Amino acid sequence: MADTEVLPNIEHEAKTGSKSDLAPGWLVICWNDPINLMTYVMHVFQTVFGWNRAKAEVHMLEVHRQGKSVLARTTMEKAEHYVHELQKYTLHATMEREP
Amino acid sequence: MKLLRVGQDGSVFQLGHGEQQLLFETLKHYPLVPAAHHRLSQADQGPHAEENQRLLEASLAEVRQANRRQVLALLNEPQRWRATKSGFELELTPLQIEWLLQVLNDVRVGSWLALGEPASGAAPAVTEQNAKYFFALESCGLFQSGLLTALGISESPHWAGD
Repeated sequence: MADTEVLPNIEHEAKTGSKSDLAPGWLVICWNDPINLMTYVMHVFQTVFGWNRAKAEVHMLEVHRQGKSVLARTTMEKAEHYVHELQKYTLHATMEREP
Repeated sequence: MKLLRVGQDGSVFQLGHGEQQLLFETLKHYPLVPAAHHRLSQADQGPHAEENQRLLEASLAEVRQANRRQVLALLNEPQRWRATKSGFELELTPLQIEWLLQVLNDVRVGSWLALGEPASGAAPAVTEQNAKYFFALESCGLFQSGLLTALGISESPHWAGD
């Protein structure tokens, strides 16, 4: 599979907060747990990010075949939100500072 | 678990008596994943990492509490189940399907953890003590597939071999 990552279109919202909290620079990563159903992971990506099936499928297969997929590059605040939403579905998701 | 129809307000499923019992027994395991299983970050970066982790766990605990209430309602409110000749009909709104998917996956992942996290395709070492987790894991997958079908999510032919 291609090594490129398809990133979601994150809307920029006007928010209050410190500059470091608002600046992009955080990656939302989903890691592979072999127990999750592929259809379930795809559904969660569609629900949490509002993606269509094709985009959700690309990321689901990346998780499944390569062990992880970067789902979003965004602000710290948004990354926390996405990680929380993914973990509500018991997916293995973390946020990591962009290298 | 068979999808009978999808309406404007929700989806109606048919469950046999045995399937209903299996669903009840499965849901009784919830919540199963340990709270500390979820980590906000693998690298624990940032000056507030510990506090953020604590907030994440508190927030997930609230979600679990709300889900637990929904589970108890499903188990203890007989009016939710319409008796039929061959079992029961259960109507679920899209929101109820979402929380049920979350609950079932918690039990599925929690069972997998309890079985020692066997690799994909590897048979877990089932013993008298952990057999209940093996059954819970399998039944969660069965019910999740039924719910996902109602949402129009199905496997693609080109996933074959994965």
